[in-house]
Amino acid sequence: MSGGDAWRGNIKARLYERVRARGFDSLTAFADARPAVPLYVLADELGDDDIAAVQVLSGLLAEAEQSKWVTRFVRDVLVRLLSQSLPSGWPAVLDDANRFKVAKALGSWFAYTPETHKERVDRAGDVLLSSPPPPGWFPRGPDDALLRMLLPDEEA
Amino acid sequence: MTRQAVLDATKDVKGSLTHVEAAFTKLAARPPDLWGFSLTGVFTRYLDQGSKQVTWLHGALGGATTLTEAASEVGDTDMELGLLRMTGPKLQAAQFGTLLLATWVDFLHLADAILRNCPMCSVEKLFADLYRVRGLMEPTLTGLASLDPEQVEAATTAMPEMMGKLTREFDTLQRETRETLKFGGQVIAAMQAVEMVAMISTMKMAMPRVPPSTPMTLGVGLVMSSGGVMVGSRMVVSAEWVEMMRRLVQAGVISVPAVGAAVLIQGGQATMAQAHQDLPQGVRDALGDSPEVRGMQVTGRAGAGMSDAPKHHVLPQEHREWFEQRGFKGDMDIDQFCVQMERAHHEAIHGGGNWKLGRTWPGEWNRMIMDALRKAETKAGRLLTRNEVLDIVADRMKDYRILMNFTPGRRQ
Repeated sequence: MSGGDAWRGNIKARLYERVRARGFDSLTAFADARPAVPLYVLADELGDDDIAAVQVLSGLLAEAEQSKWVTRFVRDVLVRLLSQSLPSGWPAVLDDANRFKVAKALGSWFAYTPETHKERVDRAGDVLLSSPPPPGWFPRGPDDALLRMLLPDEEA
Repeated sequence: MTRQAVLDATKDVKGSLTHVEAAFTKLAARPPDLWGFSLTGVFTRYLDQGSKQVTWLHGALGGATTLTEAASEVGDTDMELGLLRMTGPKLQAAQFGTLLLATWVDFLHLADAILRNCPMCSVEKLFADLYRVRGLMEPTLTGLASLDPEQVEAATTAMPEMMGKLTREFDTLQRETRETLKFGGQVIAAMQAVEMVAMISTMKMAMPRVPPSTPMTLGVGLVMSSGGVMVGSRMVVSAEWVEMMRRLVQAGVISVPAVGAAVLIQGGQATMAQAHQDLPQGVRDALGDSPEVRGMQVTGRAGAGMSDAPKHHVLPQEHREWFEQRGFKGDMDIDQFCVQMERAHHEAIHGGGNWKLGRTWPGEWNRMIMDALRKAETKAGRLLTRNEVLDIVADRMKDYRILMNFTPGRRQ
C-alpha cells in the first residue's frame, strides 16, 4: 500500500517466520541458497510488500555477528550490489558510464557496511578501481577467490 | 507512454493559455469608443488581475516541462514515474486555472460590450458585479496557484460547482443588461453586441446552456461513444483526450476526480457535483477508473488517509547545498522530493524502533544515503550528476520500501 507495510508489526518475527516457512533455519542459509541475487530480490521473495531489503541486510548482519563471519557477510553484500549494478559482470571498458555503475555499487557497499569494516571496504573499493578484475568478472558469492583476496577473513 | 501523455497534456494547456493571453492583450489594447468608454480606468485592475494569473500559470507549465525532461533522463523506471507524477498537481492547476482565466476573459468581454453599448447601464453596478465574480474565483485561484497537491485537488473538485455559479452570474449580468437596453428602447445593434459576447465566449464550450438553479441529476446525457464523450449530438471531449487522460490517471499523474470535473464542466454539467462519482459508468470505464486506480490515487497523491501523515525529505535537508551543487534547484529542489510517512515508519528508517538485528550497522536513512552518495562520488572521481544522484536514491529507496510518491514539503 503506502510502502509502510514493511514497517508495521513485529518485523523480526515476520522475517524469521517467512524464512522458516521456506524451509531454512537461518537467514544466512536462505541467502546462501540464492547467491549473487540483489538484496531487494531476497526481500521480495520473503514478502512482496512487507519485508524490506535493509531488514534482510540487518538480519544477515546479526547472524554474522553471532557466528563471527562479519567479513564474509560484507563480501556477500558487495556481490549482491554488483549483480544489481553490473548485471553482465565487470565492464570491459571503464568509461564514464561504466565507472559510475561501479562507483554506485561501491558507494552503496560502503553505506551498507557495519562501522567495524567501513575503512577496509573503502580501501578495497579503491583497489578494485586501480587494479580492476578481468572483464566479465561476476563473483558468484562471498567465497569468490578474488573477493577473498580483496577482503580476507580476519576472524578465522 | 506516460511521458507522451504528460507532454500532450502540457501542450494542450499551453495552447489554451496562449488563446486566453491573446484575448487579454486585445482587450487591454482596445481603444476607447467615441464616448470614451473602455475597460481601462477603474477597470484596469481587473485586467491586471488576469496578467498576474498568467504568470503563475506559465510557471506551473514550465515546472511540469522541467520535470518531464528530467524524467526522460533518469534510468530507473520507478523514478521516471515518480518524477512524472510530480507534474500532476502543476498540470491540474494549470488546466483549471486556465479555464477560470478564460471565464474571467468572458466577463471582461461582456463588461466591455456593456460599457460600449449600454450608456444607461450603471458603471458602478458593473464594477461591483465584476468585483463579486472576482471574489468568487479568488479562493479557487489561490488554491490552484499554491501548486500544493492537496489544495489543488480540493480546488479542482470544487470546480464544477464554481463553474455553475459563474455561469449563472454571467447569465444574470447579460439578462439585466438586455432588460436595461429594452427599457431604454435601445437599438437592435446594441442588443446584438451584448448577445455576441456569449456567442464568441471562451467559456461557451463550458456552458452550452445555463444550468438550472436547482440541482439536476448529474451525468445525464453524457455518453461514451467511439468518437469521445457526447452529450446529445455534441462532442464534449474527444476520444484522444479521453485516452490521454486514461493514461495519466493510470500512472497516478492526475486524479479521477480531476478528470471527472473537467468532463462535467465541458459537458455543461456544472452544478453541485461530486465530480467522478457523478459520471456515468461508461465514461468512468473509458477513463480507466477502477477501485485499484482509486486506491493508487489515495496512496499516490493527496488522497484520503495519507494526507495527514507528515512529509519527510528524502534528500536530507542539512545537505541542501550539496544537492544544489548537483542540480537540485527550482522545480527540482530537494523540497519537491518529500514522501508522506506514518510516524512509526519514519522513526524506523531514522534508526528508531527495534527492527535492527545487527548491532554494528545503524541503518539510519540520512546517514546511509549521504554515505552512499558521497562515496560513489569519490569512487567516480567527479561530481555526480542530478540523474546519477536520483539513480542511487531510487535503488536505496527500494531497499527501504519507500515508494516514489513524491510530494512537495516545507523547507525548514
